[in-house]
Amino acid sequence: MVAIEVRDAVKEYESGGGRLRALDGVDFRGNPGEFIAVMGPSGSGKSTLLNVLGLLDVPTAGRVHLDGEDVTDLEEPRRTLLRKREIGFVFQDFYLLPTLTARENVELPRVLDRPSELSARAQSLLDRVGLGEYTAHTPDELSGGQKQRVAIARSLVNDPSILLADEPTGNLDRETGETVLGEFERICAEGVTAIAVTHDEQVSRHADRRVDLVDGEIR
Amino acid sequence: MSDDRWFHRVPTVGIALRNLRRTGTRSALATLGIVIGVVAIAALGMFGTALEISATENLSSLGNEVTVTPADDSAGFGGGGTLDERQLREIRRIAHGEVVPVKESAAQLTYQGEGGGVRTMWVPDATDRYEAARGRMPASLRSGVLVGSRVARQYGVEPGNAIAVGDNTYRVVAVLESEGFVSDLSPDFTVVVPRRQLRGEGYSSVVVEAENATRANATATELDEELNRREEVADVRGGESSFQEQVSSFYDQLNLFLLGIGSISLLVAGVSILNVMLMSTVERRGEIGVMRAVGFRKRDVLKVLLSEATLLGVIGGLVGLALSLVAGGLLYLQMLGDPLVVFDPRNFGDLALAFGFAIVTSLVSGAYPAWKAANEHPVDALRS
Repeated sequence: MVAIEVRDAVKEYESGGGRLRALDGVDFRGNPGEFIAVMGPSGSGKSTLLNVLGLLDVPTAGRVHLDGEDVTDLEEPRRTLLRKREIGFVFQDFYLLPTLTARENVELPRVLDRPSELSARAQSLLDRVGLGEYTAHTPDELSGGQKQRVAIARSLVNDPSILLADEPTGNLDRETGETVLGEFERICAEGVTAIAVTHDEQVSRHADRRVDLVDGEIR
Repeated sequence: MSDDRWFHRVPTVGIALRNLRRTGTRSALATLGIVIGVVAIAALGMFGTALEISATENLSSLGNEVTVTPADDSAGFGGGGTLDERQLREIRRIAHGEVVPVKESAAQLTYQGEGGGVRTMWVPDATDRYEAARGRMPASLRSGVLVGSRVARQYGVEPGNAIAVGDNTYRVVAVLESEGFVSDLSPDFTVVVPRRQLRGEGYSSVVVEAENATRANATATELDEELNRREEVADVRGGESSFQEQVSSFYDQLNLFLLGIGSISLLVAGVSILNVMLMSTVERRGEIGVMRAVGFRKRDVLKVLLSEATLLGVIGGLVGLALSLVAGGLLYLQMLGDPLVVFDPRNFGDLALAFGFAIVTSLVSGAYPAWKAANEHPVDALRS
């Protein structure tokens, strides 16, 4: 069983009069519990691949399958729903809402559904990433590493099958990066597929598998 | 309800509240615009109401009077027609109020070699009906005349003078108090003469003085029906239906005009909300992108942003209403001497209108920025 798969994905952008090909026939699959590092220099198409995998963007050609289902041509509302149910995001700049506390940030993806025990779940996720004492803190009261751990807790609140991370160690010092990557390994041990795009070698050392992306192609 | 509870009960409103507080000064200024707009609309509306109230107080007697005159085409003496004794009895039978038959004519007035045309009038018991400003009012009017204030001023006539009215010469018994021009029985522009001066049968008009406008209205309607059942013999005018309605419609238009002026300030407030919301959505592009990425639908984002705009309108509207009541109270104290008139039902309409307009303005102003932000592609928003 494959958790997520793209087949022969092509993504083209209109750019300054010409067409820019960000992905050029990419085949990629992620198995449950696998931690994959997608490596490549800037402009190699890493972020585009992540957006396609995260159902944030639609490939110009090729197919995307999530849990065996073809999701390439789904309408935006349906893709939004799938993102909420199946995918967790960790962004390079953390992107915590500055007006919300750490716990509220963790609750955010599910707060509109108002499930019971949401606060308790957020609390246990924060405990898990070692921030149980910081639930009432707002992002400006947290360090970079703490923010990233809040972001990880947020990405797990919906119990995702896929965890996508964009440069998860990009704004962290080496030691904090280690802590965060250790967390990724533990998450994968629970059956979540984690895909991190990065140009940080440190990430690939923790990953089960490394995929190199150059000029929109996997080498 | 605290922020925390809002966040869990109605998350979109909770998030909106936090965002407004984050940009506190900016939100407060946008709200201030709404406050000013609401006060402008409400205060101008209440000013219009105050004008109307003071005007209708002055004109209240007008609505109580019904005047019956012969229909234009009915034949009669001396060109114009008259109402006869039978018609007078009929009017007395129908009318709810005091019935005053009036005889009138035009005549030449001469005093000390100067003169001009005046209206001469006879009414029953004129000496009881009118007040003397100068001179002594006799028990009844037999040989002298009573001169209306305007006529007296125009010709310089004083009590004791001898004036010629038509072919007869009379002594001026009294100059009458001014009664304004509102009533058909006002003597200001007339010379009130003894009955023998106005020969001929019939009456030029019959005035009914009812207790109030409602009675006058009923009287006018019934008189019109009864007197003119077979043919159009009499014109009936008065009651609220005519002049007061015109006055009221004038004030309605004035009110509309004032509200229009007030609305302009709310429009300006709307532009300021538009500006604030646009700035806010541009600054929060990334945050909105994250919300979309983690599962907020377009309409959820729309709800958050419209909540923000609407909250500005609601808060501004409520503060504006409170200030409007204070301003209205002061206005009424000044104009009518009674601040509590601010609770006149007519004002509730203006207040509701101002508040409603505030909400609508903020919603409309928030709509474009909200729509723009909700429809931005999350990938583009996150790239910024």
